[in-house]
Amino acid sequence: MKTAAELKHGEKARISDINSDNPSYKRLIEIGFTPGQEIELVNTSVFDDPMAFSIRGTLIAIRRNEADCIILS
Amino acid sequence: MNIDVAKRIPLITLVGPPNSGKTTLFNYLSGKNFKTVNYPGSTVEYYTCKIQDKYNIDANLLDSPGIISLNPNSPDEEVTVNSLYNHPEFGVPDLVIATADASQLSRHLLLTKQLLTAGFRVLLVLTMRDLLEKKGLKVNTDKLSKLLRCDVVIVNGRTGKGIDELITTIERNLKEIDTKNHSEPYSISDQLSKENLLNLYSEIESLTRAVIEPIDFPDLEKVNKNIKILNPVLQEPSLQPDLFTLKLDKVLLHRKYGLLFFFLIMTTMFTSIFWLADPFMTLVDDFFSYLAQTSSAFLGNTWYSHLISDGLISGTGSVLVFLPQILILFLILGLLEDTGYLARGAMMIDKPLSKIGLNGKSFVPMLSGFACAIPAMLAARTISNKRERLLTIFIIPLMSCSARLPVYVLLVAFLTPSDKPWFGGILLASIYVFSIISSIIVASLINKFSKKLIRTEDNSSFILELPAYRIPKLKVVLKNSYINALHYIKRAGPIILVLSLIIWFLTYMPNHSPQIDTAGLNQQEIIQLEKSERLATSYAAELGKSIQPIMTPLGMDWRIGVSLIAAFAAREVFVSSLALIFRVTDDENIQSSLLTAMQNAKNQQTGEPLFTTATVIGLVVFFVFALQCISTIAVSRKETGGWRIPMLQLIIFTSTAYLFTLITVNGLKLLGIN
Repeated sequence: MKTAAELKHGEKARISDINSDNPSYKRLIEIGFTPGQEIELVNTSVFDDPMAFSIRGTLIAIRRNEADCIILS
Repeated sequence: MNIDVAKRIPLITLVGPPNSGKTTLFNYLSGKNFKTVNYPGSTVEYYTCKIQDKYNIDANLLDSPGIISLNPNSPDEEVTVNSLYNHPEFGVPDLVIATADASQLSRHLLLTKQLLTAGFRVLLVLTMRDLLEKKGLKVNTDKLSKLLRCDVVIVNGRTGKGIDELITTIERNLKEIDTKNHSEPYSISDQLSKENLLNLYSEIESLTRAVIEPIDFPDLEKVNKNIKILNPVLQEPSLQPDLFTLKLDKVLLHRKYGLLFFFLIMTTMFTSIFWLADPFMTLVDDFFSYLAQTSSAFLGNTWYSHLISDGLISGTGSVLVFLPQILILFLILGLLEDTGYLARGAMMIDKPLSKIGLNGKSFVPMLSGFACAIPAMLAARTISNKRERLLTIFIIPLMSCSARLPVYVLLVAFLTPSDKPWFGGILLASIYVFSIISSIIVASLINKFSKKLIRTEDNSSFILELPAYRIPKLKVVLKNSYINALHYIKRAGPIILVLSLIIWFLTYMPNHSPQIDTAGLNQQEIIQLEKSERLATSYAAELGKSIQPIMTPLGMDWRIGVSLIAAFAAREVFVSSLALIFRVTDDENIQSSLLTAMQNAKNQQTGEPLFTTATVIGLVVFFVFALQCISTIAVSRKETGGWRIPMLQLIIFTSTAYLFTLITVNGLKLLGIN
């Protein structure tokens, strides 16, 4: 099971599910990380964390542990 | 205003996700007639106003912090959502104006849909049509309005186009309220499960697909672009982020050079706060000195003259002298935020800051702290996690603010040999580095014990939209800087004023007309001598003498104690009260005569020199740590919603300061440095 935290720079993938174990999962859905959406890892911070994803026509930075609850298909 | 009166005037509430153009819309509707109010019982602020006269609508308009959904994620959002259902002062809004970025429709309609589901009367305002048009797309508002079953208006935030239509639509909505009975909105908290959220999103997605259409361009080049964007593989329009933003991010968020740019931008900002503000601060300072001199010349050598000139005018001056710095700070921060860079800065620094219990969003407030702790604490509101916000506010007083600079300059001058002036620069820089390192250490220590110190739940997250880079709107930035500066005056002003009056009283009474030997002295010298005699026999001096036992271990006497007490109102007072207590009467060159006085001063108990290398370094250490700023304490109380945190700050920082000074002075003496 691959998660968004494992994406490489410029790699695109489609979301299949959001793991509801992470306390931030609802906020992730609300901000647009929903199943079926295509995401692309466009940037990471110098410290490799947080990561910036392109989703729904915008860029959203989230921490690695949050990206880890975005399950990809 | 009570609810009965408010009911007669309709209430319109503005809500919208961050970066959806809400503030711009509020500025259009309000003109300049807004005021800032705290939500009762909380520190969250909102703006309220009457709709501008020229629009001829008698209604209250309420603006509050941006929210993403009706499911609050932070204490601030909770207050905003609760107030939508039942505002403690105004009740339920008659009309909710929801803003949404047209280029972000699928994300921003979530809130609008939730508001409609909850039974609010909603008017949807679409902003940033230009961003969508760049992609060759437009929104069919008629269709959207039918599908949502609410009015939809497009407003251009830059030109104001669409405002007139918005006004007519507001009027029509308000009229309909009069004729129709509308039911109270209900809570949809039971509908916020994961499943419901996902269903809502797929509903919005099909809705978005139905209303976003390509623009019919006459010229071929743009049509070609359209076709490229409407890539059949993606099947959904407007999925590409702004291309210019992506390109710029490749540089500014570069894995190697990103941090370099970050430090470059931050250093430029940080230093410009000092050098840009400096002439204006001198101007303010000169103006108040002139005012004090004029009033004292006019009122003569009487107690009320001193009260007005030394207490009232100087007190006001000490509030306003930092105003240029605060204005410039907010101006630069506003410009950086408006361009979209600030969110990137927060992202880059999040990892190291999270190690010490802070958040990427703590960085800007901490940086602001180098200018002044007050706006820095206000800036901490952008941190949604309460624990991280409180910890940020907690350590802000450790950032070496500009009020410490005059003190450091004096103490460094004492330590610098006259033949090696470069040594002073190195010393000053070392003090700053020392204060940064020590605040990092303190933050991580506080973080370790923060479960006890800062009692609140821990659910740290970093989810931040990186907005598209834009050319900042100077007018909006200027206005916001003005509002923030006004906040500073309103928050800090009254308290500083009252306390500077108290300090004035303590340093002036009871011996307000001391007897001195005036033989052979000019008028200026008489006044200065009177002042220092008055101070030496004042309540403050008695207070200073009563703390002699705690000054003795530091190798200092009560005279430094008095200056330290006076410095608790504001640090920079330390220098002027030292000048008073050592009877420095040379107005032209206070610093060099004060230095001579310091070199000659003997400890009244031991007869040894009072200011030695050891004691002066000790004083530097004291000023690095001690919380000696009444306005900081006042704002900390307001921002944290109680006395607990400011009192902890005062006790912890001041006792740390004392302890470290004790160790430094005696340690240096043991090493033979005296």
